[in-house]
Amino acid sequence: MIEKIKISISERIILIFLILLGIFTLMFFIVIKNKCLFVKNYNPKEIQFDNPQNIAVLDTNCGNVIIELYPNVSPNSVERFKTLIRSGAYDDVAFHRVIENKLIQAGDLEFGKRENLNYGKVGTGKSGLGVLQSENNENFKYKKGSVGLARTFQMNTEDSQFFIILEDEPLFEGEYTPLGKVLYGIEVLEKVKFIHKLEIVPRPDFINSFKMLDQ
Amino acid sequence: MHLYRTILVIFIFITPLKANTIYNLIKIPNLEIYNIDTKNKLRYVYATKPFKLGLNIKKKISCYDSGKKVLDQKYKIINKNLNRYSSNFLKKINLKYIVLCENLSIGEIKTAGVPDNIMRTLILDIKFNEEYFERAIHHEVFHIINDSYKEFFNENDWKNFNKKDFEYIKCSTCDNKWNLAIYPETAGFFTEYSKSTASEDMAEVFSHLMFYENENNSDDPILNKKIKFIKENISKIDNKFKF
Repeated sequence: MIEKIKISISERIILIFLILLGIFTLMFFIVIKNKCLFVKNYNPKEIQFDNPQNIAVLDTNCGNVIIELYPNVSPNSVERFKTLIRSGAYDDVAFHRVIENKLIQAGDLEFGKRENLNYGKVGTGKSGLGVLQSENNENFKYKKGSVGLARTFQMNTEDSQFFIILEDEPLFEGEYTPLGKVLYGIEVLEKVKFIHKLEIVPRPDFINSFKMLDQ
Repeated sequence: MHLYRTILVIFIFITPLKANTIYNLIKIPNLEIYNIDTKNKLRYVYATKPFKLGLNIKKKISCYDSGKKVLDQKYKIINKNLNRYSSNFLKKINLKYIVLCENLSIGEIKTAGVPDNIMRTLILDIKFNEEYFERAIHHEVFHIINDSYKEFFNENDWKNFNKKDFEYIKCSTCDNKWNLAIYPETAGFFTEYSKSTASEDMAEVFSHLMFYENENNSDDPILNKKIKFIKENISKIDNKFKF
C-alpha cells in the first residue's frame, strides 16, 4: 500500500518561490531582449520647431533622434551635411564606432553601408564630395547630445562621418566642427549597439533613414 | 586574400578600446586633464602612468608620471611662462596641448621637452634641470615655432652670422655640448648648447630673449644679428608678439 505523503507548508513555499522565480526570469529575458521597450519614440510632426528648415530626423531601431543643425555656426559643413541627408546617403549606414555612454559615430558612406559593410576599412571611407575645411569654434560648447563632424587626426579632413556625444566633452571644443545638437531622442542613441572594450562594433546597428523634416 | 581579411578583422576586434578622449586627440596614452580652462586656451594634461611612444629605439620617447605636489608646483611655473604667449600666437604656431611628466627621454637621452607641431603638443619634463627650467620651456616653444615656420628660419642664413671657421655639429645629441650655462663672454653664442646645431642656437637665442626680458641688447655683434633675425621673423608670424 502506497501512503500518500502530504506536502508540508515549507515545501509549498519553496514550490511557489520557484514558480515565481521562473516567471520572473522569463519576463526578465523578454525585457532584456527588447532593448527599446522603455524608450520613447518622438514623432517630429507632433512637435513645433523654431527653425524647421534646420531639423533633421535620424530614424534608428529604437526610434527617432531629432537634431537641430546650426548653419550659423558651421555654414559649409552644415550645407554638406544637409546635402548628404537630402540625398539619402546616410540611409542604411552603420553606427560603426560606439563607445558606451560616450560617443556614437556613423556616416562612412563607402565602407559602412549595410549591404557591403567592410570591417577592415570602416571608418576610413569617403563621400566622394571631397574633404572640408574645419570650422572649429572655440565658443561652441560640446554638451551631451552635440553633433560634430569627424576627422582624421589632422584638421581640414572632414567629410561625411559624424558623431554624437553622450556626455559633455569639453576637450572637443575648438577641436571638431560642430553641426548641431540633439533636441529629442538622446535616449534612443544610448540603446545603439556597443561592445565593451571594442571600438569598431561587429554586426552594428544601422541608421534606418536620415531625412530633413521638410523632405 | 580571405586569410588576410580574417586576420585584419580579428586584429580590429581584439584591439582594446582606448576610449580616452585625450588619446584620440594627441595619440599619447595614460594622460588626464590637469587644466583646460586657461586664458590662452592651452590645455594642460599630465601623465597618470608612464608612457612610451614610437617603435624606433633611437627615437623612442618615454616619460613617467609625477606626484601631485611636484605637478602643482611646476604647473605654476610653466603656466606663468606659457601665459606670455597669446591664444592667437599659439594657434598660429600650432600649439595647444602641454603634457606634463618627468624623466622625459628620446632614445634614452634625457631631454627637457619634445615638441610636435603636427599634433600641436609639447611634452615637458617637469623635473628638468631646476636652474634652466623656465628658459628651457621657451626653448622648446621655439622648436614648435621653427617647425611650423621653416621658411622664416632658414638655417643657411643663420649660419652666415657665425665666423667662417665655425661649424655646428651634425645633431644636438651627437656630442657632449649640452651645457646650458650662459657664457660670460658670449662670442656669438649664449651657451655651449647653442653650438650644437643652428636650430638649437636659434632656440637658445629665443629663450634668452624671452627669459631675460630686459637684457635684450648685447655687445656681441654676432649675437645682435641673431637677435634681430629672431625678432624680425617672429614679428612676421605675429606683429603683436612681445618678448
